[in-house]
Amino acid sequence: MMPKIILTSALFLMCTWVVDAQNRVTISGIVTDADNGETLIGATVTVPATGSGTSTNEYGFYSLTLPMGDTQSLAFSYVGFQTQLKTVLLSQDTRLDVALSSGIALEEVVVKANSFEEQLQSTEMSVEAITTREARLIPVLLGESDILKTIQLKPGIPSGSEGTTGLFVRGGGADQNLIVLDEAIVYNPNHLFGFFSTFNTDAVKDLKLYKGGFPAQYGGRLSSVIDVKLKEGNNQKFSGSGGIGLLASRLTLEGPIQKGKSSFMVSGRRTYVDLITRSINKANEDNEDATFIPDYYFYDLNTKINYQLSEKDRLFLSGYFGRDVFGVDGDFFDFNFDWGNATGTARWNHVFSPKLFANTTFTFSDYQYNIENKITGFSFQVGSNIQDSNLKSDFYYAIRNGHTLRFGANVTYHYFKVGRLKAGSDDGSISFSAGQDYDGWESGIYVSDDLDIGDKWKLATGLRLSAFSNDGAFYTGLEPRLALRYSVNDKLSAKTSYARMYQYMHLVANSGVALPTDVWYPSTERVMPQRSDQVAFGLSYLLGRQFFINAETYYKWLDNQLQFVDAAQLFANNDLEDEFAVGQGRAYGFELSLEKKEGNLSGWIGYTYARVVLSDFTTLDPNGSFAQTDRNFGDFSPIYDRRHDLSVVLLWDISRRFSFSSTFVYGSGDLRWLAPGRFNFQDVEGANFQPVVSDYLARNNFRLPPYNRLDMSLVWRFFPKWGESDLTFSAINVYDRRNTFFIYLEPEYEENPDTENPIEVPTRIAAKQVSLFPVLPSISWNFKF
Amino acid sequence: MRQLLFFALSIAILWSCDLEKEIEIQLPDYEPSIVVECYLEPDQPFALLLTESTPYFEPFPDDISDYLDATLLDSAEVEILHKGTIYSLQNQLFFDPVKQKIYNYYLPVSVPYDTDSPFELRITTKDGRTIEASTKLLPRVAIDSIVVEFQENDTLARLLTYFTDPPEQENYYRRMLHEESLDSTARQDFPTDDRIFNGDVVFGTTFDFSEGTVVFNTLYHIDEDYYKFLESVNGAINASLNPFAQPSSIISNVTGTGNPIGIFTGLVYDRVETIIQR
Repeated sequence: MMPKIILTSALFLMCTWVVDAQNRVTISGIVTDADNGETLIGATVTVPATGSGTSTNEYGFYSLTLPMGDTQSLAFSYVGFQTQLKTVLLSQDTRLDVALSSGIALEEVVVKANSFEEQLQSTEMSVEAITTREARLIPVLLGESDILKTIQLKPGIPSGSEGTTGLFVRGGGADQNLIVLDEAIVYNPNHLFGFFSTFNTDAVKDLKLYKGGFPAQYGGRLSSVIDVKLKEGNNQKFSGSGGIGLLASRLTLEGPIQKGKSSFMVSGRRTYVDLITRSINKANEDNEDATFIPDYYFYDLNTKINYQLSEKDRLFLSGYFGRDVFGVDGDFFDFNFDWGNATGTARWNHVFSPKLFANTTFTFSDYQYNIENKITGFSFQVGSNIQDSNLKSDFYYAIRNGHTLRFGANVTYHYFKVGRLKAGSDDGSISFSAGQDYDGWESGIYVSDDLDIGDKWKLATGLRLSAFSNDGAFYTGLEPRLALRYSVNDKLSAKTSYARMYQYMHLVANSGVALPTDVWYPSTERVMPQRSDQVAFGLSYLLGRQFFINAETYYKWLDNQLQFVDAAQLFANNDLEDEFAVGQGRAYGFELSLEKKEGNLSGWIGYTYARVVLSDFTTLDPNGSFAQTDRNFGDFSPIYDRRHDLSVVLLWDISRRFSFSSTFVYGSGDLRWLAPGRFNFQDVEGANFQPVVSDYLARNNFRLPPYNRLDMSLVWRFFPKWGESDLTFSAINVYDRRNTFFIYLEPEYEENPDTENPIEVPTRIAAKQVSLFPVLPSISWNFKF
Repeated sequence: MRQLLFFALSIAILWSCDLEKEIEIQLPDYEPSIVVECYLEPDQPFALLLTESTPYFEPFPDDISDYLDATLLDSAEVEILHKGTIYSLQNQLFFDPVKQKIYNYYLPVSVPYDTDSPFELRITTKDGRTIEASTKLLPRVAIDSIVVEFQENDTLARLLTYFTDPPEQENYYRRMLHEESLDSTARQDFPTDDRIFNGDVVFGTTFDFSEGTVVFNTLYHIDEDYYKFLESVNGAINASLNPFAQPSSIISNVTGTGNPIGIFTGLVYDRVETIIQR
C-alpha cells in the first residue's frame, strides 16, 4: 500500500513541475560582497510586490522562479549590507549575479547565517551561528579570539570550563561532533590541550553548529555538526589583517590573482611562549635549583585559492596544517610530543541550469600524534594516526519557490593506525612493538526535500542511507530526518524535528578529559556503530523588531556507547577491543535564549537545563570488569553532565572608536569519579605498604563546585591612512574566581617519620583543589588594511 | 616593546599565584567492606591479612597499635581447603621480620606446592558475613640469565634480564628490581601480560647501576586475577592524585557478603641476586 501512495505522489509532483515550468522563468545567480568578492550565505532575494522569495545556499547560489511576464523588481539584502534593487525582464531564464556593498563603513563583514525573520521562517532548528565580529570582540584567553570557543557560549553547548577540552553537545560525547573545515573532517579541533581551537578566526568566513534536526547531507556523528568555512580570499583588492598578542601572532593576506575572477588567502599564526621559556632555561643553565620549563608551541596555516572558470564553474582549493609541539631536550632525557591535523579540499561548483546547482568535493584529512622519549640507551615511540580520503557530490535543485530538493552521495576511505608502539634499546637487544592497522570504507547517499505547504506550514524531509565496511564487518544505517515548522503568526513559529544518526568511528579516551592521545577506533565485528535518535520541539518568537526568543526541548536516545573497562590496558595492547564496554544512554534538556543582533547594543542570554545518563554497559571481553555492572552501581552520568548552564554575552559599540564586550557564564559543576572509601594494601615482600588505596564505587559520583566567570574586553580602534588597527584590552576571570580544574586527595605524613617502621600511616588526608588561572589581563594589537 | 615585556612579566607573576588550595568536600556515604590479602607461597606458612576499609576521610589513629586495632578484622573463621585437607588459620598477629609483613590469621604449616588442585578460601566473620575465593598455584618461570652491560667510557651499567615465556598459554608476570636490599623501594615494579611477547623475553634497565651494587631481580609468575587486581590497585592509587589517570574500581577475586575487596592467589617466583661487576 505504502509504495503505491509514494509512487502516486511522485507522479503528481512531477506533473505539477512540468506544468509549472511551461509558464515560469527562473532567475538565478551568486550573491557576493562587493568589497572582496566573498559569496554571501543566507542572503535573501525577494519580490517586494508579492512577498515571495528565497535565500542563497551555503555557496552563495540562489534560484528564484517567477511567473513569465513583464519586468519585476527584485530586492537583494543581507544583514549589515545595503539592500539592492534589480529589475529583471521575466521573459526567459536569466543569470543575475549581484554584489552587495556593506551598509556602514565601520562595520566589518557581518557573517550571519540567518536574520531573525529567516530563523522564524526556516524549518531549521537547533542551529547556532556565530559571527567573526562577535568572536573577535570576545577574547577567550590572553587576548586571543576563538570562534569555536565563542560558540560554546550558546545554549546546549556547555561553555568550556578550563581544562574541559571536548564539545559536549546536548549530552553527546566529545567524539560525536562532525567538525568540518571546508568540508574536510577535523579530528582534533584543539590546540594547547583545549584552550584554543584549530580555527584561526581571521581565516574563517562562517561557522554554523547543528545540535539537532540534522539535514540529510550530514552524517557520521551523533550529536552535532560544526560546519566551518574558510574565507575565499578577496578577489577585488589585496588586503591583510593580523595581530600581535601576548601568546601568539597571526597574519592573513588575501587578494586577487586575476581581479574579479580568482583570489588567494593565506593565514598563519604561531605562539611564542617557547621563545621566552627557552631564554629562561638558558639563563638558568648553571642554577641547579632552577626548574626546567618544557618547550611548548603551536602553529597553523590556512590557505585557499579560488578560481572562477566560467560563469557556471568555480574551483576552490584549500588546505590546513597545524601542529602542537611539546618537548624536553636534555642531555640524558629527550622527550617530544607533537600532534595535529592536516586537511585538504578541492571543490568544484557547477551550475547545471538555473535550477540545478552542484558541488563536488574531494577532501583529505589526517590527524596524528607522536610521542618519542629517549633516555640513555633506551627509546620509546608511541603514536596513532587516522587518514580519510573523501569524495562527495551534493546537488541543490530549486523545483519552484518554496520547494527545494537536495541529493547527493559520498564515499570515504579511512585508514587507522591504532596505538603504534615501539620500544627498545638503541643496540636492539631489547625490543617491543605493538599496534593495529585498520582500514574501512564509509559511504552515504541522501535525498532531502524542503517544501512550503501554504503560508503556515513548512516541511523538510530527508533520508540518508549510510554504510560502513571494515575487514569483514559490514553495517548499514537508514537515517530518516524530519523537520516541521508551523507559523502561528508573523512573530511566532513552532518547530519540531526528528533525526536518526549513525556513527561508525569511536574516540576511545582514557579519562573524561579529552587528550591528544585519545584514539580513533573503527566499528568492527565486535564494536557496533553508535546510533542516536533525537526529537526536539521549539518555539521561536520575535519580540518587537530586535529581540528574538527561542525555546527548545529535546530528548535523545543513544545506543552502543563506548567506555573503557576497569583497569583498561591502553598501551601496547593488540586487543584493544577487549578493553571496551558497550552501553546505552539518554539525554534530555531544555534551552532558552534571548538574542539581540542589531544596534549598538547586542548580545544574548542563554540558559540550558540538561541531563545525560548512561546505563546497561556490558564488557566485550566476558572476563572484563566494569564497575557499573559488576557491583550493581546502576546508571551513571558522564563527567560533562552539567545540569544548569547560563551565559550572558553583551556587545556594545560605544562609538566608532570604542567597543566593549562582556561575558558571564555560570554552570553547575562537572562530575568527577572520586572514591568514597579507602583501604590499606600490604602487598608482597619487596613492595611498600600502601595505607591509602581508593575504593572507587559508582562512577562520576561527585559534583564539583559551580563554575562561574566574568570576562571583559575593550577595543580601541584607530584609523590610520593605510587601514584600521585596534588595541584590545581584555581581562579573563575579572573577579578572580578560583574555578575547579581538578580535585585530588593527598595523604599527609609526619615530617620526621620512623624509617624503621614498615608501616607508615598518614596523619590525615587533605582534599586539594587546583585552579588553572586567576584574573588574567592582556593586551593585543590587531590591524587590517 | 618594553611595555609588552612588562605585560608578559605581569602575566608570569599572576600565573605563579597560588592556584591550589585545600577545600572541604562531602563524599558520598560509604559502607566499609572486608579486605582480604592472602598469598600462598609454596613451602611457606599459611598467612592471611583480614582488614576493613573505611570512609575516605575517617581520621587516622595516632599510633600504629591503635591503627591496627581499628583496621584489623579479628575473630573470623578462616579456612583454606586443598585436596580434601582443611587448613584452619588461627586469629593471631604474626609479624614476618624477613619480609617485613604482618598477618592476623596464621598457620605454621607449609603451603604444599601443587599446581594441579585448587585452593579454596572460606571466611566467616563474627557477624556472619561470608567470603569465598579460589586459586591455583602456577609453575615457576625461571630467569634464564642476567647480563650486565657497561656503557663505553662510563662507570654505569644496565641489567638485561632474560626469561622464556611459555608460548602455549596466556601468562602474567610481576617484575621487581631492588637495589641493595628487598626492603628498599623497588627500582622497577610492574605487572605485565604477555600480549606483546612470546618465547624469549628480556626486561631491561637504563644505565644506572654502579660497580659493586647488589641488585635483586624477581620474576613472579602470577595469574590473571592477581594481574587485574594489581592493575586496578595501581589505577586507583594513581587516579586519586592524577586527574588525567583513569580511575578504576578494584577488581577482586574474592566474593561474598557486602562487596568484599581483595586477592587470594599463589605467589611463585624466581629471584636472582647480582653484584654489578665489569
